Amino acid sequence: MNFFELLQESWPMFLRGLLMTLELAVVSLVIAMFVGLGSCLMNISRFRVLHWISQGYINIFRGTPLLVQAFFFYFGVPKAFGFTLNVFVAGVIALSLNAGAYLSEIFRSGIEAIPHGQMEAARSLGMPRRTAMLKIILPQAIRIVIPSVANQWIISLKDTSIISCIGLAELTMMGSQIVARTYMSFEVWICVGAFYFIIIYALSKLSKFLEKRLSLVKSADKEAS
Amino acid sequence: MLKVQIKKLHKSFGPDEVLRGMDLDVQEGEVICLIGPSGSGKSTFLRCINSLEQPTSGTVVVDGDTITGKHANLDKIRENIGMVFQQFNLFPHLTVLKNITIAPIQCKKHSKAVAEAKARELLERVGLSQKWNVRPGSLSGGQQQRVAIARALAMDPKLMLFDEPTSALDPEMVGDVLNVMRELAQEGMTMIIVTHEMGFAREVADRVVFIDEGVIVEQGPPSEIFTNPQNRRTIAFLDKVL
Ligand SMILES: Nc1ncnc2c1ncn2[C@@H]1O[C@H](COP(=O)(O)OP(=O)(O)OP(=O)(O)O)[C@@H](O)[C@H]1O
Ligand SMILES: [Mg+2]
Repeated sequence: MNFFELLQESWPMFLRGLLMTLELAVVSLVIAMFVGLGSCLMNISRFRVLHWISQGYINIFRGTPLLVQAFFFYFGVPKAFGFTLNVFVAGVIALSLNAGAYLSEIFRSGIEAIPHGQMEAARSLGMPRRTAMLKIILPQAIRIVIPSVANQWIISLKDTSIISCIGLAELTMMGSQIVARTYMSFEVWICVGAFYFIIIYALSKLSKFLEKRLSLVKSADKEAS
Repeated sequence: MLKVQIKKLHKSFGPDEVLRGMDLDVQEGEVICLIGPSGSGKSTFLRCINSLEQPTSGTVVVDGDTITGKHANLDKIRENIGMVFQQFNLFPHLTVLKNITIAPIQCKKHSKAVAEAKARELLERVGLSQKWNVRPGSLSGGQQQRVAIARALAMDPKLMLFDEPTSALDPEMVGDVLNVMRELAQEGMTMIIVTHEMGFAREVADRVVFIDEGVIVEQGPPSEIFTNPQNRRTIAFLDKVL
């Protein structure tokens, strides 16, 4: 069997794996963004309890490997409480909580990079803290963190391959299965690698585009001219 | 009518007592200039008036509202107190117009149309009606500061606080900002201004208050303070700056 026969014969499996990887990544990252933002807001809250909860969450999920987290949510938790968990759901939980912990810290660094005078100016106008956060601080912080967030997305996208270890039929898992059948290890892993590369390349282009679009300097020039 | 009433105001940062019992009454329409050496507590005093800094003890009453009260609605009270900062602190992600309309829309629930009409009027007043659609980043310092004044005025404040509004400006920009402030004073706005512009203070202030080491050392009409200061520390300070 040559390379083209391999593709011809195995493309449905590649495609299924690819779609599963994308689905896992998109669902997990959307959830992770909300988890990260929520955790970040708790972290910077004046209520110490919320801060400590968030800090504990961040420390635990940054301090343990994703593989262990995946095993824990797929095997450990259902075993302890006597239920079964769909492998996709377990994968989403592990991945989104893992990425959420990193995103939480990224968001916090963005918020802390905004000069204190911005919050003071907003408060001096009579804006409640929450409004000032939402309308003044966060919109500026988001622009700052776009590159770091995109970087975390790329890392998490690659981390989806770890979820194959609990048996989710995503791209890497499909690769193994095709290799098992065809013994064309070299070609298959090149294909799998290429698929990951294409998605990640597209993602980094998107991030560059957003960064440009939302840049304050650029839009100021545009409007001034 | 009494607009601002400050009694026995103390403020400590950790072990440092920065304000050591300050009292000040300000009448409606009065323009007060605060002068004093660097680190004497002028900014801290000003920031205690709108509670950006929480006083350690003492009371501040602005337009009948006790902002130092336990259950004071800070946000509501602050709507009545405009503040202009040395570093402008405009919102860089919003256009000039939105910088001015955001607080009236968010806090006073004004409609967009009403807020924008008012903002354009204010921009006209500070001489920047052409600049409504640019971001603050593309304005000069003097222009930014005038936008910041317009932004504060959009809330219809009863009192305006200025913390060295011209100190971060190139000399040629200072005049435009001072003109806007002068007009505001003439229209009867109650103002408390921390400034190093002694010429401006002499001309515009109804009362000059000299602060040193967290206490009000001497106060009076500019004609008296500048020409015939009584206190030794006032004399030494004025010797240096005049
Ligand atoms: N947030 C803070 N934490 C600790 N110390 C502070 C803080 N803010 C001010 N201080 C201290 O309080 C003192 C008075 O500061 P303040 O800024 O009020 O002086 P100022 O009269 O406005 O001086 P300048 O003319 O330089 O602006 C200074 O010694 C300063 O170091
Ligand atoms: Mg100061």
